[in-house]
Amino acid sequence: MSLDKEMQELLVNYTIESAELLQVMEEGLMELESIEESEETINAIFRAAHTIKGGAGIFGFEHIVGFTHVVESVLDAMRDGLLKVDSELVAALLPCCDHLGILVREIAKGHTEENSDLTKQSEKIIAGLQPFLDNAEGKQTDSSQVASQSIQVQDETHRVQNIECDNSKSGNWHLFLHFNPDCLRDGMDPLSFILYLTKLGEIIELTTSTQALPSAGEMDPESNYLIFEIVFKSDAEKADIENVFDFVRAGSQIHILPLESKIEYYIDLIDSLESDDMQLGELLIKCGVITRRELEEGLQAQQAKRERQQSQHIGDILIEQQTVQKPIVSAALEKQQRVKESKAIENQSIRVDAGRLDILIDLIGELVIAGASASLRASQTGDMALQEANAAVISLVEEVRDSALQLRMVPIGSTFSRFQRVVRDVSKELGKDIKLHISGADTEIDKSVVEKIGDPLMHLVRNAMDHGIEPAQLRIERDKPAQGNLQLNAYHSSGNIVIEVSDDGRGLDRDKILAKAVERGLIQVGETLSDQEVYSLIFEPGFSTADQISNLSGRGVGMDVVKRNITELRGDIAIDSTPGKGTTLRIYLPLTLAIIDGFLVGVGESSYVIPLDRVVECVALPPNENHDYMELRGEVLPFIRLRQLFNKKATLSKRQNVIVVEHLGVKAGLVVDKLKGELQTVIKPLGKLFGHVQGVGGSTILGSGEVALIIDVPTLLRQQEFASNTH
Amino acid sequence: MSKTIMIVDDSSSIRQLVKISLKGDGYEVIEACDGKDALSKMDGKKIHLIISDVNMPNMDGITFVKEAKKLPAYKFTPIIMLTTESQQSKIQEGQAAGAKAWVVKPFQPQQMLAAVSKLILP
Repeated sequence: MSLDKEMQELLVNYTIESAELLQVMEEGLMELESIEESEETINAIFRAAHTIKGGAGIFGFEHIVGFTHVVESVLDAMRDGLLKVDSELVAALLPCCDHLGILVREIAKGHTEENSDLTKQSEKIIAGLQPFLDNAEGKQTDSSQVASQSIQVQDETHRVQNIECDNSKSGNWHLFLHFNPDCLRDGMDPLSFILYLTKLGEIIELTTSTQALPSAGEMDPESNYLIFEIVFKSDAEKADIENVFDFVRAGSQIHILPLESKIEYYIDLIDSLESDDMQLGELLIKCGVITRRELEEGLQAQQAKRERQQSQHIGDILIEQQTVQKPIVSAALEKQQRVKESKAIENQSIRVDAGRLDILIDLIGELVIAGASASLRASQTGDMALQEANAAVISLVEEVRDSALQLRMVPIGSTFSRFQRVVRDVSKELGKDIKLHISGADTEIDKSVVEKIGDPLMHLVRNAMDHGIEPAQLRIERDKPAQGNLQLNAYHSSGNIVIEVSDDGRGLDRDKILAKAVERGLIQVGETLSDQEVYSLIFEPGFSTADQISNLSGRGVGMDVVKRNITELRGDIAIDSTPGKGTTLRIYLPLTLAIIDGFLVGVGESSYVIPLDRVVECVALPPNENHDYMELRGEVLPFIRLRQLFNKKATLSKRQNVIVVEHLGVKAGLVVDKLKGELQTVIKPLGKLFGHVQGVGGSTILGSGEVALIIDVPTLLRQQEFASNTH
Repeated sequence: MSKTIMIVDDSSSIRQLVKISLKGDGYEVIEACDGKDALSKMDGKKIHLIISDVNMPNMDGITFVKEAKKLPAYKFTPIIMLTTESQQSKIQEGQAAGAKAWVVKPFQPQQMLAAVSKLILP
């Protein structure tokens, strides 16, 4: 098959879209397994499969069409309730997603024809679905009989309806009035209400039904037994017609329905409504088919049912209460669905090449620098008007910067939800029962960080499942629930994004790690280390306690690689562990990689930038302080003299200042000469030549054109700590 | 023959308002200032509809409705009660006594006429 350029582009779109849809399918299936059966979810899965099939049809990928068709049949049976959704069914469908993913990827690679290996694979998977299909077909025949019966019944009602409407004039409302038996005694004459009705419109037809009339002996002449059915033609709103009967509503049955022949009109009306994401009831009120009172009654009924532990959809309740006919509710539900879908499409539809975004961010970086330079020049002129104009430009630049950075932010949820599948598969592989809980899925994180965090997270999750969470038997012996609990959580915390991987397993074994570290010569026997220090030993290259080796841990990344990956993202990782209770790994990541808020300081003739989120406070250095520490509110604060560190020879200024910085709960001071205030900094990476330089995270260009180094506080602190430990 | 409506209210301005609007629509109006006054003025006359306030001296509206309903001539006479919205408990009490139609004060003359024409045969 040869594809011209246009088709080629379409094909690229198709593969991208299919990948997204497969993700939707997979997430949906996982949801079905964990949460109760939901029509919505099944529909979403079905639609995804259907779209993939449709696309494949356009390109003539018969093998995908054929395969998806079978999957679709199974999903269709699920949707019709012919197949019960259970873990077996989900287990049979998940491989279908995987296989479809392979098929689509093959196409993306340019292999548009199916190869024999994949055909075999397809056949095998389809064979796995066959039992479900057979099962569903058995039920299908049963239900089709039922369906044909109900169609007959419907036909009859239709006929009656046709006779009623077979008038020269046709109405638009059908009123069913069964007045309260006591209405006459209450001074309410049904006739007066019916006559009043004519003020609103025209009664086309009135049928008096005597079916409720008792035998003469039992009849109370003061009671009302008559039921009226009226075909009514009126331009009035439903609420106005309803108001006619407000005095007699108590104890009466009054139903006002659009006439069968007018249902089409309401369906069209619902379709044409310009509606946002409205609730069903609101949608029906807006098109005038129900009144607010009827909706409230329906909602009350729903609430009452909920209290009795039953749940029913509001649409069904409204139909049951004869407030509205089913086709209208269905139309409204479809409308709702379409609105939701179109929103979902809107959410997905803007695809921008990541490269273009990067260029934009780079340019904004330059803009920030140029802006700083302009405002410096403006302040030197002393021209107030110029300064004001410049301040306005700067604040706009800041906004542009923020919204541009926002473009790169994506919720971490999609990364997290991938792990549902991983946890499911790995726990089967390990024979453990482990449940993954996800929270903070909405937390937004830089796209480039998301791409790089997947692998380290994968390793941490596998590790936690393999080594952290004990086998069920052992858990029960230790008074823990048999089902292991793994948690992925993300949240913002003071300029960082924190991602937590926690388990309720056995925790880290301090003694074992110490023994191993001594064996490998990482520490000396008898050295006293804090828990944090001991735990961080597991990030040493090649570090592994003997009985930890399994096929799961050998997937290419070790803990040292995890650590390196995270450090490359200017992040950090910390471990919190309680023996017997569990382990929590916290990954700290910067909000963004490109632009930071910094604090500018001067040492000698040079300027340095300290990332603002690390800065706690600034204090003056006490005079004649010759040690490497000082007292800060009763606590010892060790400090680093940047003058010494960077070997600055310029004459000492009279006053020196200490910037108190914090990292992972450790505070330290940085001694500088001058405090120059906050600024926005665009990080320019240092060349490879400076790759080995510790304590410097990058450079930036100041408004004056001067270059300033950005201090990497975590490595600087670690380096100093190491230096002091070896003394 | 024009229909006769009785308005029972201790406030003469309300009586006036109701009277003017009803007369404009061609109804005959009998005024009474409380329940007791109303019962004595009814006196077997043909009355097609009664409009009554709830809070009145001598005999309140609810007692009045109960008494009127006891009289064979007025057993099926429609009654509209006037109320302020805060009197939910009164509404329940009144409905139990047989007054199902309630009009909330303050009302527009149009509202009163609509309520009347729902209950009264032309």
